[in-house]
Parts: sequence; structure tokens; C-alpha cells
Amino acid sequence: MKNVRIAAIAVLVVAMGAALGANYIAPASYEQQFRESPSASPSAQHLLGTDDLGRDRFARLLHGARVSLVLAPLAAAISTVLAAFFGGMAGYFGGWMERWALTVVDLFLSIPWLFLLISVRAVLPLNISPQASVVVTFLLLGFLGWAASARIICAGTRDMMKSEFVALARATGFSGVKLVRLHVLPNLRGTLLAQFWISVPVFIITEANLSALGLGVSEPLPSLGSLLRELQNVVTLRPEPWIFVPLAVLIVVVSCFQILLNRLSMERSSSERTSIERPGAPA
Amino acid sequence: MRRLLFPCMAVLLLCSAIAAQMGGELRFCIPSEPNTFNPLLPQEVSSGTIIYLTGGVLLRVNRITQMAEPELATSWQVLDGGKRIHFQLREGLKFSDGTPFSAEDVAYTMQKLMDPELHSPTGDAFRSGEGKVTTRILSPLAVDIVFPAMVANLAKLFDTVPMLSSRSPQKDMAALGPFYVAEHKAGLYILLKRNPYYWKKDSSGKQLPYLDAVRLEIELNKEIEALRFSRGEVQMITSLQPDIFEKLASQNAAQVQDAGVSSYTEFLWFNLAPTSPIAAYKRVWFTSTGFRRAVSEAINRADMARIVFHGHAQPAVGAVSPANKFWFNAKLKPHPYDPDSALRRLRQDGFRLENGALRDQSGNEVEFSIMTVANNHARESMAAMIQQDLKKIGIKVNVVSLDFHAVIERIGETFNYEACLLGLLYSDLDPNGVMNVWLSSESDHQWNPRQKSPATGWETEIDRLMRAQASSGDERLRKQYWDRVQEIAWEQEPFIYLVDKNALVAISPKVKNAHPSALHPQTFWNAEHLKLEPSDH
Amino acid sequence: MALKLLRLSAIMLMAGLIGATLMRIAPGFTADEQQLNSSLSAQSLQALRQARLANADLARFYLHYLGGLAHGDLGISQSLNQPVRQLLRERLPATLRSLAIALILAWILGLALAAAARLSGSRAFTLTADGVSGLFISTPAAVLALVFVVLRWPPALAAGLLIFPKIYRYCYNLLQQSYELPHILTARAKGAGQWRVLAWHVAPTAMPQLLALVGVSISIAIGVLLPIEVICDVPGIGQLAWQAAEARDLPLLVNLTLTVTFLTVCATTLSDVARQGFIREAA
Repeated sequence: MKNVRIAAIAVLVVAMGAALGANYIAPASYEQQFRESPSASPSAQHLLGTDDLGRDRFARLLHGARVSLVLAPLAAAISTVLAAFFGGMAGYFGGWMERWALTVVDLFLSIPWLFLLISVRAVLPLNISPQASVVVTFLLLGFLGWAASARIICAGTRDMMKSEFVALARATGFSGVKLVRLHVLPNLRGTLLAQFWISVPVFIITEANLSALGLGVSEPLPSLGSLLRELQNVVTLRPEPWIFVPLAVLIVVVSCFQILLNRLSMERSSSERTSIERPGAPA
Repeated sequence: MRRLLFPCMAVLLLCSAIAAQMGGELRFCIPSEPNTFNPLLPQEVSSGTIIYLTGGVLLRVNRITQMAEPELATSWQVLDGGKRIHFQLREGLKFSDGTPFSAEDVAYTMQKLMDPELHSPTGDAFRSGEGKVTTRILSPLAVDIVFPAMVANLAKLFDTVPMLSSRSPQKDMAALGPFYVAEHKAGLYILLKRNPYYWKKDSSGKQLPYLDAVRLEIELNKEIEALRFSRGEVQMITSLQPDIFEKLASQNAAQVQDAGVSSYTEFLWFNLAPTSPIAAYKRVWFTSTGFRRAVSEAINRADMARIVFHGHAQPAVGAVSPANKFWFNAKLKPHPYDPDSALRRLRQDGFRLENGALRDQSGNEVEFSIMTVANNHARESMAAMIQQDLKKIGIKVNVVSLDFHAVIERIGETFNYEACLLGLLYSDLDPNGVMNVWLSSESDHQWNPRQKSPATGWETEIDRLMRAQASSGDERLRKQYWDRVQEIAWEQEPFIYLVDKNALVAISPKVKNAHPSALHPQTFWNAEHLKLEPSDH
Repeated sequence: MALKLLRLSAIMLMAGLIGATLMRIAPGFTADEQQLNSSLSAQSLQALRQARLANADLARFYLHYLGGLAHGDLGISQSLNQPVRQLLRERLPATLRSLAIALILAWILGLALAAAARLSGSRAFTLTADGVSGLFISTPAAVLALVFVVLRWPPALAAGLLIFPKIYRYCYNLLQQSYELPHILTARAKGAGQWRVLAWHVAPTAMPQLLALVGVSISIAIGVLLPIEVICDVPGIGQLAWQAAEARDLPLLVNLTLTVTFLTVCATTLSDVARQGFIREAA
């Protein structure tokens, strides 16, 4: 397992390094159109061929990965923190506070946010840069994507409030936000990490779908999600294997994240077991 | 007995062969649930398809020859300088439920059509002046329709007016066309069955249509539509996307056809409305003819046609596509791709290139946004190509893809946009059909609608020419006026016409008598003559 | 019970009002594609606009709608010109069927895989399960739906495959979390068998959060299923939702929001009741 972990770290380092260094590694600009060779197969000049406008796929993959692999985890972190806050506080206080919080959560899950997103695009300047547009998009996803997990965290918090270690913590003077932050939420790490891990690919794909509303990346900037949208033609039209490379990259990155998050969860748990065995020691 | 056997068998075989050539169910897709079955109300594509197949019209414009041909009327005459039209109706016609058709139904239809509360686009096309439209029933088979003022292209407008029954209990659903609506399964399909009372016969006297039924499958996704065609689940596709056309052609070249240039044009325009909230210095750029001509010359239309449309489009010339045989001004040629000439024009206008960026006289960097409808891959690709082309002359373009309604609101109400890239299908060949686009006082005058008085001299001239052609009964004169409008539009470029798309269709080789047209409806304009091979029954 | 029904009604009404408000304020509400029809006169265009503005006064629209709702009248769809009640009656069964199939598949796959990965203790199995769930969570719904169309498989199964990674991830992390609690470690140390530990100790510990997850999985499933219905031409409410959004059909949208809210809140309420019942029993 240690070898697997090292491999996962290596893959992530290479992926992030390639994405961040896209300007230096990419053989061509992501927007340059080689109009004499649209939809070309891989070659020495174009490692993954070209898209239907003659743009180098490899360059677009590198730049697209940079956009998505930096912003999607950031948005996922925002949604996880919000879920932890709302779910944790609702579970901690219980009673009418919990009922109101869960009502808000249920509303969040039911409302068609599509029109809010359309409205947000309307207030953004027409000439907003593609980079700014995609940042706004991912931030929106982060702020809207927390509700489902909040419910699970609330349930877990409610349960934990009755546990012995929380009783012990209360007895030693912990309460409120500190109690939730130091004793309850760490024991819900699994749920929080699940929320984070799920959100990353979901947000990457959702960002691409939001381009139908004018959000997300705009031409010529690519994102991993916008490259994945090309697959919709692949099934029925052009099943060329190199078109699947963005999907393969996303699967590999997501899997590597998962391996590391699993390990992180296990290591933290074992260190807390040690602290629980020695009461009074700080968590 | 044995001597009779062989001839009897031969007769039987012949009969079954003839019978086998008739019948069958033709299947093709429509993109959405129809919003109405009323032929007089505004229609989207799906409703329009159903109404075309079920509606009976007094005359039909042949989509190949573009000439009007008799249908429910055996003859017609345009009289009183275009203010009156006389129809002689065919005898013995009945609606699909057996209700007889007569001049009374024509009068009823016209009354409904011209009802001001209905707001029918077809009715609006007939509104030539103040006053009522009256219908005089001369006999059960003869009718005069009188208009308060001359209506240009009067006869051919009746191609879009399906007749309603004044007496049938089925009301709008009683059909005079080759088919009637038999079944409607929400979200799945609409089944049209052969109209047993359809009047038309083929040259051998056989009653039409040949088909038993037409099944219209509701299918939103173009790729899935192509898949279903490949599997034989549907037998025709209208308005094929170019990449899907290429894919189907690679499977079997005989199943696809490029019917030639259509009347579907893609174009770009700048927002010239003085009340728009865009920056004043940008409005100065956009109102300059030199600027618009420069942008036009910097766009490589040939590349667009080759790459985005896989060669199934051609650089557009102007306001009228060559598909419109009579009205197209053949003297005009597409604007050339000439970035050097573009830069010269810009310099003449006071622009200068500094470190690869174009600046105006005040030093503002030339940057603007092009708005288009999202989820249209071809249009987004065109915008990306324009972005690259204009970058070569130092202009920075931002592509803004918005949802359809948001685009309509911006171009029609708020005017909060800088440039817009859209495509439109001109189904009415006559210039009268686009009066609202070219008259400066009208709302479809996209670049600067609803002007109290024309903002420029050339718009004043276009107004004059459009009104002149609308009030003339002489087609040659009307052509002269419309040719001149096209020339002015070519010079001033309020619309920068980009490409005219070809009509791409897929028709299974099992469908006989199909002659796809570049004009809408491309594949089934002669639905009553379509046949299916026996194996497809 | 009465309180719960009251809460359900209140949330439905709020969700409907918020959804309607968002649609109303989003750009394009008064726009109609007929505005591009050059045959229409200025008066006709004005009449079209007035017709769309008829619902612009949101308070009046909503009050009128509620009055109709009390008599079972759900209004008329502006874009389809049909009674909404009839549309829902025709379309809802198909969606509910697909929803049930998708959820059953997702839970069976997700829970079984998570339990098997945890029980087997095999790193290879866990990695494989992680990889499979990573594959499906990274695949855009449209692509998988198209694959299923090509293969002629039921679209509900595609939805199930897209939902199961989320359930798998949460379940696995919950089980992981639970297995590391002191009393579970004690039970294992005392020699309790794997299945006994899972059934008698781990499951009860994880149950509150699992039950919460059941509730939110309905909402997740609806979010996944609706776009699949659009792509695969399932005559369900997904197509209606798409139609309502495209055409800014306010009556249709409000009813669909109420329907989705009803399903979501019922699911979360039932899961809350089950969770509370479970906790009481365990106590």
C-alpha cells in the first residue's frame, strides 16, 4: 500500500506540475488554430491530435487541467466547510435550530438554482475575462453544493453529542464551536472527506454544463469539463481513443486523490485513538 | 383448370406487387413536443411539420421550381393591382372526417386568420393597410378575397394558409392535407394517418398519399437521431449537422444528400442603438462603416465554411441567399478575406496598431464581445474563429454564450450587448417577408430597431426602396428595388453575412420519390408522393 | 404527524415561490423566440409581450395559482398549451419508476461494494472498487446516457451507475470511521466475527448517518436522472423541466418545483423519522 501511495503522490505531482507549467510544456498555445489540419490524428507535432478547429489537444488538456484541478478542489473545500458548519451547528444545538437548519437544507436541495445562475451571468460584465468567469463559476458551485452533505453531518453530529467522549469533553470544559471543531467534526472526517472527494469531479463536469448558461469557461480557454463535453460526439460519431484522454486524466487524478484522502483519514484516526487512550491530552 | 392457373397466379403476383408498393409508415424525428395544432398560430419547428403534413392549402409553392402550383384551388387571379384575389376551387373536396369543403370554409379561414386578437404571423403578412379584409362567396366553388390595400406577393402567401373547416365537429383537427393527426403520445411521438378523403391522385389515377402513415418521433438529441437513422428506426433526417452528415456518408454515401445552398444564413451585427448601455467610444467604432467593413474583411469565411461546416456551406454574399433564385442579386460577390485591406480601412478611420493591439484615436484598446446562443457548437466554433481572425488585426474579442431567452431579451429589449452572432432561416422568399427587418421603424431592424426617423442616409434610402417594392405590382420593378437594397446592405454591412449553409439531409434508400429541396421543408415537401420499399412496411 | 405535514407544505410553498421568483428575475422572462419572426407586426409582438407579462406580477400569479391548487387546478403550461395536471399525470410515473430502479441499483452496488471492500481487507479489491467508482463519478451523465442508448440498455441503470459512487464513497468512509471506534476495536479484539461486528456493532453506529444519506440520495438521484431523461427521451418530468427552463414556462416550473420538493422533503422526513426511531430503539 505504501508503494501505491507513493505512486499516487507522484502522479498528482506530475499532473499538477504539468498543468501549472502548461505555458512552458505545451507545444503550442491552447488557442492557436492550425486550420490546415482540423480533427487530425496524433502525430509528432500534435501528441493528441487536434480538435475540430485545429487546436492542439495536448496543449488544451494541459491548460484545461490547470483551470479545473486548481479551482475544483477549492470549490469542493468551500462546500465541505459550509456543510461542516451548517451540519455541525444544527446537530450541536438540536431542537428548533436543527429543524430550521434542515428546512433550509431541504429548500436548498429543492430549488431550481438554474435561474440564479442565469441571473448571475446577467450581472457579470459582458467583457469579463474567461479566467474570471470560470473562477466565479466554481465559487458559485462551492456555495451551492453543500446541502446534501450537511444533512449527513447533522445526523452524525446529533449522534455524537450523545457519545461518551463528547460527554467527557464537555466535562473537561469544551463547549460550542470548540467542542464541535475539536471533538465532533474530526470524528466525521470520513463524511467530510467523502463530500470533498465527490465534489471535485462533480464540479468539474458541472462547470462544463454551465457553459449552456454563459458561465464557466468561454472561448478560447479550455477546462477539463469542456474537453469532456466533446465525448458526447464520440459515442455516436468519432470513437477515436485519444479523445478519451481527458476522461482518463480525470479518473486517474480523482483516484489518486482518493488514495491519499483514505490514507489521511486513517492516519489521523490512529493518532486520535492514541490521544483518546490518554485522557486529558490535547486532540 | 390448369390453363387458368398460371394467368391467375400472374395476376395475383402483379396485384400483390402493386399493393406492396403502397403503404408503410414513414418515420422521422421532430425536435420537441408541438406547442399547437392550430395552423393559424405562431409555430415552432415541430408544430410547423405537423401542420405542413396535415394542412390543405389553396396553392403550394413547389420547393424545387419555387413556382406556385394549384392545390385546393384549380386556378387563381390577382386583380385590382394586388388588392383582390379570385380563387376557383376544386370540386368534391372533403376534410378528413368527410365534411365537405367549399368557399364558405375559405371565408371562415380568412375571418379567423385576420382576427386582430389572434396575432397570427400569417395574418400579419396579409395586413397591408388599415381596414378589413372581406371575403365574397360567389358560389360554392368560387371566392374573392378583398384587401384594403395592395398586398405584394399575394398569391404565394396562400402557401402558408391551411384551410379550416367551418362545420366539422373536429374543428382545427379536420385535415385537408395528405394526413391527419391520429394519435399523440406525449413526449414520444405523433402518429399521422393517411387522409381517406385526400383529393390528389397520381398520374395513373391512384389516390395519394402512397404512405399509410407518418410517425413523428420526438427526439431532442441530434446524435441519437443519427443513431436511430443508422439503425433504420427512422428513415429521414432534415437539417443534418455537417459532422453527422460526414459520418453517415462514410457508412453509405447513398443515404445522405447535400441539396445545395439553403436560405439559412449565419451573420453578425454590431449594436448601433443609441440608447444601448454600451460605452460611447465603442458605439463610435460600431457606427463607422469603415470599421464594420474592416471587421468583415478580416473574417475568413472560406475557412469557416470548410472547417465548421465541412465544406457544406459557402461564404455568404448578402441579405439573400443564392437559394432564392429569383430575388438573389447575382451581381454581388462575397466580401473578400483581406486582413491588409482591413487594416488600411482602420487606419483611415484613425485606428493604429501598437504592440499587436489595435487602438482608436483616443487610445482605447479595441475590444468587444460577441454574444451568441449557447449550446450551438457550430456557432460557438464560428465565434472562436472570428476571435482568432480579428486577433490578427489587433482586435480582442470576447465570446459570450448565453441561453436563448437571455439573448433575445438583450437584442430586443435591453440592448445590452455589443455584437451578436446569430443564424436565421428565411422561409419566405419574397422581400415582403423581411419588411420588418429592413424598415428602420420596425422591431426586427436588429442593429437599431424602432427608430423614429432613420439615423443614416442609407437607412432612409432602404426605407424608401422597401416601401416602393411593397406597393408595386410589377415583379421586375420590385426586383430592381430589392436588388438595390441588397447592394446598399453589401456596402454598409449593418449585417456582416458570414456563410449560407447547405441543406443537408439523410434519406434512407428505401424511401422512394424523395427529391430533397434546399428550402424548408427539405425532405418531405412532397410527402404525398413518398413511397417506401415493401420490406419497410 | 400534523406538524410534519405542516412543515412539508410550508417548504413546498416556499420552494415554489423562490423558484418562481428566481425565474421571474432571471433575464429572458418576457422574451419569446417569436420576436425573431419577421412576419409578425409590431402589434402582434406587443401582444406577445403582454401575454408573457401576464405572469410578471409574481404575488398575483402565486396567489392565483394557490387558489387553483386548492381546487386541484395546476394551471396551463404556457409553452405546451396543455393542463399541467395532465402533463404531470402522463409523465410522473415514468420518472418515479426510473427513480426507484436507479436508487435500488445505486444502493445495492454502493453499499455492497463498500461493505465488501471493508470486509475483504484486500487492498487490491479496495483499489479496484475505488477505481470503478472513480470512473463513474468522472463520466459526464450525457456521455454515459449516450453509451446506454447505443447499447439499448435502460436509462435508469445509467442513472444508478452515476449515483452509486457517491453512495459507495459515503458508505465506505462511514464504515471506515465506525470500524475505528474504541468499542468496535474492543469487540474485534475479543474475537467477534466479521459479520457479527458488522451487523451488531458497526451498522448500528453508522445507521444514523446512513439513514440521513438515504434521504438525500433521493435528491441526488433526481438531479442525476432529469438530464438523463432528456438525453434518452424518457417521457418523464426531466423533459418537462427542460421545456420549462427553455421556455420560461412559469406555471410548469412552479409545479415541477413543488413536485421535486415534495419528493425530497418526504424522503428526508422519512429518513429523519427512521433515524429517530432507530436511536430510540438503540437506547
